[in-house]
Amino acid sequence: MGCCVVDKEAELKRLMLRGLDGDPVAWRALLTEMRGALTPFFKRRLTGCEADAEDLVQDCLIAIHAKRATYDRSLPFTAWAYAIARYKLIDHFRRQGRRHDVPLEEASVLLADHTVEDGVVRRDLKKVLSILPLRQRRLIEDVRVGGFSLAEAAQRNGFTEGAAKVSVHRSMKTLVASVNPNED
Amino acid sequence: MKTEDLIDALAAGIEPVRPARLDPALLAWAGGAAAVAVILLLGARSDLTQALQAPTPWVKAIYTAALAQTAIWLATRLGRPGLDPRPALFALLAVVGIAVAWGGIEMVLTPPDQRMAGWLGQTWDICGRNIVLVSAFAAPLVFLSARRLAPTRPTTAGLALGLATGGIAATAYGLLHCGEATAAFVATWYTLGVAAAGLIGAAVGRFALRW
Repeated sequence: MGCCVVDKEAELKRLMLRGLDGDPVAWRALLTEMRGALTPFFKRRLTGCEADAEDLVQDCLIAIHAKRATYDRSLPFTAWAYAIARYKLIDHFRRQGRRHDVPLEEASVLLADHTVEDGVVRRDLKKVLSILPLRQRRLIEDVRVGGFSLAEAAQRNGFTEGAAKVSVHRSMKTLVASVNPNED
Repeated sequence: MKTEDLIDALAAGIEPVRPARLDPALLAWAGGAAAVAVILLLGARSDLTQALQAPTPWVKAIYTAALAQTAIWLATRLGRPGLDPRPALFALLAVVGIAVAWGGIEMVLTPPDQRMAGWLGQTWDICGRNIVLVSAFAAPLVFLSARRLAPTRPTTAGLALGLATGGIAATAYGLLHCGEATAAFVATWYTLGVAAAGLIGAAVGRFALRW
């Protein structure tokens, strides 16, 4: 999953940069992708009034369009887009005069890797990964965090592709067991 | 409207854009408005041409312009969703810190019986009020200059824009009207005036900067 999320970010960012240069095809693709991601994002946070979700998605797409010049190219695209989505959601609650907490941790499912940049997460990640032997750990880092393909990562760390696949699989099992006490 | 149609309409109308920032032309107009407000409401100091040949007013102007500049940077970062505003905040606090340290050192070096006079000057009680008054004329232009940004924290962004306005107003006030010349005076009363403008900006921004 980790590598797919990184790929998704790269894909969206590519579309965003082309959109900033005025490419209507890329922009249409980006807005369509974002619609697909934002609909569940809002639905999950609007239990009881899911009908508002569609309005919010539209609001948010308009904001992504109108405020696209505020995107900072040094940032992951998802960090920017979900900052807007969160703002629109908070604004929605505020207008309704209700107090709500918007859970931040759920955003990680969608926003992917900018949270990995976050110092705390990175520290935790390092701690979790530290239980693996060094060579295995480097492989996992390349594949799941660094965004390399399995073949590239295998080559970088001197594995054959098949061996790398098995190693990643075993490492993930070890890691999941280490952080999930219910599974052992 | 159906979302598909919305997406089509938005994609059809897309044009290339440059990165958003505070509109520099409007900021320049805000500086002009502040200068005009100082001259019309408070009057230029009588010895203006002579005074501006000495370094003191310019040193004051460097401080208040640095406040404005770092506050503008802060507002710009706050206006870009997802961007960490802290580097700009630290820069702003560092500018204030330097001025306060400078004023403190100056006071230590001043003979004790002259300290109060140096710190309060002639105008400590009206300095902050005047800066806020001048800010009121520059503020609409400063807030307008930020309309392309997308602050996800409108109150904080309003604070930054208010501080920027206060910095611009204090620069005009310090150059054209105010004759106070001690660092301790500037570090205290100018800073308080700019801070007050910032707080008013925060209250305004909470409503005016929503998008």
